[in-house]
Amino acid sequence: MIRVQPSPLSVAAAAVLVGAACDLNLSNPNSPTETSVLNSVDGVLSLATGMQGQYAGSVADFLVTNSLVTDEWGTTNKSLIAYQSLLTGQSFDASYAVVAAPWADAFRTIKSADNVIVHAPQVALSPGVRAGLVSLAELFKAMSLGTIVLQYQEVPIDASRSGAVPQGRDVVLDTVLALLEQARGDWASVTAADSGTLKARVLGTGFDVRNTIDAMRARYYLVAGRYAQALDAANSVNPDVLSVLVYPSPGRNPVYDLSFLTGYVRALKSVKDQAQSGDRRVSYWIDTTAAPVTGNPDSLLLPLKKYSGANDPYPVYLPDEMKLIKAEAFTQLGQLDSAAFYVNAVRTQTTSALDEPVAGLPALDPATQLNTPAQLLAAIAYERRYELFEQGLRWEDTRRLGTAITTTPTLSFLPIPTQECDANPAAGC
Amino acid sequence: MRSSRRAVVTLVVLLVAPGALGAQGSGRVRGRVTDAASGQPVPDVRVSIEGTSVGTATLASGEYSLPAVPAGARTVVARRVGYALVRASVNVAPGDTVEVNFTLRAAAVALDVVVVTGLAAPAERRMVGNTVEQIGGDAVNAAPAAGAVDQALQGKVAGALISQNTGQPGGGVSVRLRGTSTILGNAEPLWVVDGVIVDNSSEALVSLGANAGRGNAALSNRLSDIAPGDIDRVEVLKGGAAAALYGSRANSGVIQIFTKRGRQGAARVAVHTDLGFSETPQRFEFNLAPQAGYADVLNGGATAIGAPVQRYDIQDSVWRTGASTTTRVSVSGGSGGSSYYASGGYGYLQGIDRSTDRRHTSVLGRLSQQVSPKLDVDVTGNVIQSHSNLIPEGEQTQGVITSLVFTPTSVKPFYDPAIGRYPYNPNLGANPLDVLHNWKAQEDVTRFLGSVQAAYRPTPSLTVRYLLGLDDYRQEDGYLQPPASTGPTFTGLVQNPIRTSRRLNSEGTLSHSATPSPSLGLTSTLGFRYTRDRTEVLNASAADLPPEQTLVGGATQFASQSLTELRTEGSFLEERLAIRDRLFLTGGLNLEGASAFGPDERWQLYPRVSGSWLVNQEPFGREGWLGTHVSSLRLRAAYGETGGQPPSAYSQFENYVNVAYGGKPGLVASNTTGNPSLKPERQHEIEGGLDAGLWRDRALLEFTYYHQRTTDLVLPVPLAPSTGAARQLQNVGVLTNKGWEAALTTVNIDAPRLSWRTRLSLAANRNRVTKLVTGADTLVFDYLNAVIQGQPIGVFFGGYYLRNTDGSIAYGPFVVNQFGKIDTLLLPLIAKDTIGPGNIVNRRKIIGDPNPALVASLSNTLRLGRRLEVSFLLDGRFGNDVANFTRRITELFGVDKVVEREISGDTIPRTFSRNPASRSLIYEEYIEDGSFVKLREVAVSLHFDQPWVRRFGAEAMDVRLAARNLHTWSSYRGLDPEVNLFSASTVSRGVDFANTPIPRSFTVSVDLSF
Repeated sequence: MIRVQPSPLSVAAAAVLVGAACDLNLSNPNSPTETSVLNSVDGVLSLATGMQGQYAGSVADFLVTNSLVTDEWGTTNKSLIAYQSLLTGQSFDASYAVVAAPWADAFRTIKSADNVIVHAPQVALSPGVRAGLVSLAELFKAMSLGTIVLQYQEVPIDASRSGAVPQGRDVVLDTVLALLEQARGDWASVTAADSGTLKARVLGTGFDVRNTIDAMRARYYLVAGRYAQALDAANSVNPDVLSVLVYPSPGRNPVYDLSFLTGYVRALKSVKDQAQSGDRRVSYWIDTTAAPVTGNPDSLLLPLKKYSGANDPYPVYLPDEMKLIKAEAFTQLGQLDSAAFYVNAVRTQTTSALDEPVAGLPALDPATQLNTPAQLLAAIAYERRYELFEQGLRWEDTRRLGTAITTTPTLSFLPIPTQECDANPAAGC
Repeated sequence: MRSSRRAVVTLVVLLVAPGALGAQGSGRVRGRVTDAASGQPVPDVRVSIEGTSVGTATLASGEYSLPAVPAGARTVVARRVGYALVRASVNVAPGDTVEVNFTLRAAAVALDVVVVTGLAAPAERRMVGNTVEQIGGDAVNAAPAAGAVDQALQGKVAGALISQNTGQPGGGVSVRLRGTSTILGNAEPLWVVDGVIVDNSSEALVSLGANAGRGNAALSNRLSDIAPGDIDRVEVLKGGAAAALYGSRANSGVIQIFTKRGRQGAARVAVHTDLGFSETPQRFEFNLAPQAGYADVLNGGATAIGAPVQRYDIQDSVWRTGASTTTRVSVSGGSGGSSYYASGGYGYLQGIDRSTDRRHTSVLGRLSQQVSPKLDVDVTGNVIQSHSNLIPEGEQTQGVITSLVFTPTSVKPFYDPAIGRYPYNPNLGANPLDVLHNWKAQEDVTRFLGSVQAAYRPTPSLTVRYLLGLDDYRQEDGYLQPPASTGPTFTGLVQNPIRTSRRLNSEGTLSHSATPSPSLGLTSTLGFRYTRDRTEVLNASAADLPPEQTLVGGATQFASQSLTELRTEGSFLEERLAIRDRLFLTGGLNLEGASAFGPDERWQLYPRVSGSWLVNQEPFGREGWLGTHVSSLRLRAAYGETGGQPPSAYSQFENYVNVAYGGKPGLVASNTTGNPSLKPERQHEIEGGLDAGLWRDRALLEFTYYHQRTTDLVLPVPLAPSTGAARQLQNVGVLTNKGWEAALTTVNIDAPRLSWRTRLSLAANRNRVTKLVTGADTLVFDYLNAVIQGQPIGVFFGGYYLRNTDGSIAYGPFVVNQFGKIDTLLLPLIAKDTIGPGNIVNRRKIIGDPNPALVASLSNTLRLGRRLEVSFLLDGRFGNDVANFTRRITELFGVDKVVEREISGDTIPRTFSRNPASRSLIYEEYIEDGSFVKLREVAVSLHFDQPWVRRFGAEAMDVRLAARNLHTWSSYRGLDPEVNLFSASTVSRGVDFANTPIPRSFTVSVDLSF
């Protein structure tokens, strides 16, 4: 006979103990916790890497609106209502995905950048590596904000939280430029060894942080109309370096996806037709030998040629943009000779060690053909059209170069996306 | 026989350790139970001593024996479903034997049944204010249901909508108790086996029916692991008022299964064996016109319309009559303070689709030991292995039935030695015959289910119970698609996912009963429950397969992994009040915390109250009209709250996903941002009803009205993109389920040579989604099922035709058909909206509702003489629509008979095959009335206990002829209105798309008891 006679109380106590001995604080085993991502060396490095991936994955979204509202691309597929609206400027709707995509993509990158800016200084890395991470995050935040301020008239600058108030262009451009100056300052303390660490752990191959910071400074100072600073920044950029976003397999260049894999877009045939005879840049961008097809709405289209490989890199900026920025800044500052020099420097280039378009055109006569600001701006507008095709810059060119440019965009700006209006009462729409 | 008995006893003794048999100061109670009307012995009557755990069941001879009854004044209770409970008082002296015989009177009322589900401590049903349905093992096994318990419950639970989603072996079942009460969560009830919350996952590891990415899309579900033959009874809790004890997992109700236990007495051996066959309830009627039609020309079956064509109906090569067999042997018995039940069984079932089958082997052992007069311990272990061969179907382009309906009958499907393979299907996917012969889709499951339970009674009024339960299984799937089987460039694919699930349950209760005054009884219970679930899915697959077709040999390999861990912990308090044994009040509180919620919202309180009033026990209840006409009357009401867990276990966190950049691993916050203040979806249910026994309890009318309101439904709420995230799961939605359930059980005839019982049950539920994120939201799930504010969940939402004033479809002018000719047929006009320049889209509206307005069942059991019993069960649902995508495809590709009539020149409605482009995305004409009545079960059984039976050594033999799904009455034009492409999906119901119909099956079974 087994005698089991524990007291009822002890049984109850034991039972309660068995029940209480468990922890309900579980973490998600499929992904790292937020605490470890934000507070560990590997977490912050991965966050900085992911941030670049977000931006690199968004370049097609940044490009679609620019290229369709201007005279760069046409669309092939009848089902893409939003694309047709961008082309024609009719029946446009703020709820279209093309309206939301650049906005959402930029703020996703900014969210990651803000996390890096806040948390990189707190992890166990050398001061130079930390400064480099912060600099990189400031650069990507500036590029994201800059890209969307070229597309939307008002953009919130203090993102990553709810209730952000959209600001006017001047405020946003000031923010972009302040971030870039900050990035430039932070990068100054990055030693060669720090840079080596960043290249090994974070940066994409072929991405040059310092030159990109200066190129972006040049670009946005020009947009802001601060020509002396634009000139100064453009002069700091090494013309023999290409800075690119990369898409090694299994990744894919999103512009390739858009123009080759899905084939939603093609170049407008007018790009070829309106080029000066012998301009070699046309065949750099476009398959000029192919038979034109009719797009929707009726327009003749030619297949694109650049980024035809799934893993082709996409440039953050093209080196000759700097020459054209200088030309434009000199024009605006009244130094027409220097401006003419840079226009011809772009026109007469016949070879390049880099993957960039070369015009191979004869020089224009500075005395007769590049003698007035109007002539220079018209020449700059032409060169920018063929040098910087499908780089997401032409829409802004139409605003800045005014009458010197030969096309009128179908929309002046994108509206604030419906998703933002619905969920953010401070959006003011 | 004797040696095996001895072996079992030896085993029992070895397991139980030093002799605990023969309690101090106990006596024996024995006797015989007979039927009042016929005088025949009644087997399987549960005889127990009230207030103790001593109990047994009567043998075929009606005899019972309780060897270890604690001495003193005792009440012996005899109860059996279908009879009125009888109590007898005895005085047991130590070492004495008391004889107590019972005579049972048939009754429809079953208020004395003890229910345990949803209660902190077991109670008689009359004391419980909410509905608890109990279904006995006999009813579960009335007509063998291809080995699945949930199928066997069809038509037996009022207010439950139980549908089998596919007719493949082990085909999954989805159960809706009182409607659907979630949108993104799990709408299937919580299943509990012997107190252990088990996993009943429908997660698809490979795409066999609906695509694996869709929720709950598996063809099978894990409840099919449990052998119906081992089931003693099933209890069903339909709503929040009853299920509050199960906290945040009970919004969709709870179903508890109890397996058999041993009984006191000599070892009893039961052998069950059956043989059966099953067949498709219907076949497709194919187009066998001798000349080509439009679809034949369009799809490569002929070159010109009207040209002579050879046609093929390969259904003989797809369907078959499948054989099945089950054998189960069980041994049970007990002596002294111990009892045991052990069973082992094997089942083999061939599906009605060729090359599908399922093998199922299970063993169950259960040992109950009275360790001391105060302590009972019960150990159960159930090990199951199953192996199934399935085929792809449904929306799988390689599905067998899918390719059957997508291929014009003019296309020759047979193996072609000239090209060394089966010809490719001109439209999509694989050749169905190739899939049947060369593809493999297997599912292997090994599962252990077991528990240890202990009940300790230090004093007669105090009971401590503890349960530790485990559910551990491993499901291994294998899916092979051979190279070049779907097209010349297809390089083959093999997938070998493994799902492992580990569950642990630990619960304990302390209950105390007190009788402060003769008219007042109090039962207080305090308890806790802890569960831990861990699920891992590892998926390995390979493409570019060499001929040997293995995972490692594939040139391209993929692997993925996902882990889910959930813990739930709660403590509960329940107070039960019995006033004058006629008014019972129960109040309970369950404080539960679950790991799926953030610390701020983790702990939730789930209250419930219920009352039950036995009106006829009151003095006025026995007088006047009430006393004359109503033999028993119970009024009951209950209110309770339960919860529902979010669709993901980790929604509270900011989750980071891998966005590699430049070949380096990168992390990015998910677009769905975490919500640390996410809380359970909360259901508030109130129910009220009555149970009335009429004509001396020969009839029982049960009626319940309920109103469920589920708030805090988890939905994705769009966030401002400027926050850097796209959405967040928040508690925003609300929906309601209102309805009633009624059941009338009658003993029509109860004569010595003839008895006849009937049960009619009716249930109606009205579901309405009352709040979404915004009032204008239309969330379309999968194909057509939508969630729209103000509408029932899952309504069909789609494009439609314009109608003339008389309701007929409006037709437009003559148009050019796809062959460039003016079609002689007019085309229907479709409602359109213009969006943007020249962009016209179909205007959409609600075109159907898959939710039935009424669910009904009718069962009849006739007993003729002593030996013959005939029973049948009709199961029906009314007012539900089914989207018949199968017919849409057979018409489009000219496979349907209606196209043959069209080709033959009859005046036939303009079929889809003639003008597919103009009707694309219009499904209105394929929404059909899916109401049906199925003759779910028919059984004829013969009982033999004559001397010739005994000459075999058997005590009795039962021979039963049974059929399932013998006939379906329905105007539905497809093969079966019950199936659903999206399996156990919460919202997507009522879609028939090339699914295997539920088989019609016949079995002959023999049950021998020794």
